[in-house]
Amino acid sequence: MLRKKPETMEEVVGLYIKDVIEAYPAVGRCLEGAGIGCVTCSVGTCLIRDVVSIHNLTVAQEQDLFKAIAAIIFPGQPVTLPKIERQAVAAGVQKLSPPLQDMVNEHTNIKRVLAQIPALIGRIQKGFTAETRQTLAEVIDFIRQYADKFHHAKEEDLLFKYFDAESDILRVMVKEHEIGRHHVRSAAIALEQGDAAALIEHLTGYGALLKEHIRKEDEILYPWMNRELTDSQVGKLFARCHAVDQEFSARVDDYLGLVEKLEKN
Amino acid sequence: MSTCGCPGSQSMTFKREPSDTVAEPAAAAKSQLAQWPIQMHLINPLAPYFQGADVVLTADCVAYALGNYHSAYLKGKSIAIACPKLDSEQEEYVEKVKSWIDDAKINTLTVMIMQVPCCRGLLALAKEAASQATRKVPIKYVIVGLQGDILEEAWV
Repeated sequence: MLRKKPETMEEVVGLYIKDVIEAYPAVGRCLEGAGIGCVTCSVGTCLIRDVVSIHNLTVAQEQDLFKAIAAIIFPGQPVTLPKIERQAVAAGVQKLSPPLQDMVNEHTNIKRVLAQIPALIGRIQKGFTAETRQTLAEVIDFIRQYADKFHHAKEEDLLFKYFDAESDILRVMVKEHEIGRHHVRSAAIALEQGDAAALIEHLTGYGALLKEHIRKEDEILYPWMNRELTDSQVGKLFARCHAVDQEFSARVDDYLGLVEKLEKN
Repeated sequence: MSTCGCPGSQSMTFKREPSDTVAEPAAAAKSQLAQWPIQMHLINPLAPYFQGADVVLTADCVAYALGNYHSAYLKGKSIAIACPKLDSEQEEYVEKVKSWIDDAKINTLTVMIMQVPCCRGLLALAKEAASQATRKVPIKYVIVGLQGDILEEAWV
């Protein structure tokens, strides 16, 4: 919540994005217009400056956005627009580096399982059969092992280590991993206790959370990290991720088999 | 009468503005080369400076075309140079790149080439060597325009 009305745009870009959207809902619509979907963020503790910088807007797009925000917060007043410092990016650098591309590919597998959640809920609603329980146990195991121990661990233990752990953006990402783990723990307990309502609630919550979380990583976080990592860091990250892949290699095929089985049913 | 010649050998002159030719300060022009030799036939792929290194395999013409080659691309990296059009016995190059990956355990490989079609051979050679290697490393390519601009930079 804003303690006082900001007096300059320089002050505005140093405020928490959620506080500004809460005080000026039209700012949320401006951000969405610029492809910045922070309105739906579950945490929202990033500074506007950081959020704008991470989205790799052109200077012209950034200035248009600030002009629109200034018109909402300081209507009719002359304002000086701030400029966000950015790294120069060589022409054509868009494709993700191999370790980041591998993680995007893992997201694709996780999203394939998330897409099955509505069908799983339909099965729960029809009746808690032994077969449905077994499938749900396998799905929870996939989420715990493939999505969390394999993929999220790569992010938290390897990729994120190259960046400031105290930055708002990484804190949001890690917080969302924690919320996801809470949903999965609760879903596992609900399955054990045969509590269909709680199971549906936590599967739905997990699916919605992770779908949005992956979108943010694929479209915003990873491209930003891709621009920031040096070639040397990319090589080291690739080698470390490869070691994790090797460790998990036998089980990965089993989990991908589960994805295919779910899609066939 | 117009003729269809090799784009890599076609004569052309680039007009430079006076501002383009202002001498750089000495500090900006400092060499970042940290090894010798550099020519692909002369290098030993197992030399200490290739062990675990970020290596830039650069087509001969690149460093002449690109104004900031040393500061932006060579700094902190080990280098080898080659010409995929004129050099002979390039099968040795494939073996050396393979040895960088498998034996010297290089960290990354960046292949820098000119925009002329014949230069693509150097990237193809690096990809071929990487496909034969047991280890995998990230490979990036950079395509430099004839007037020294970066036309494309991407991970393979």
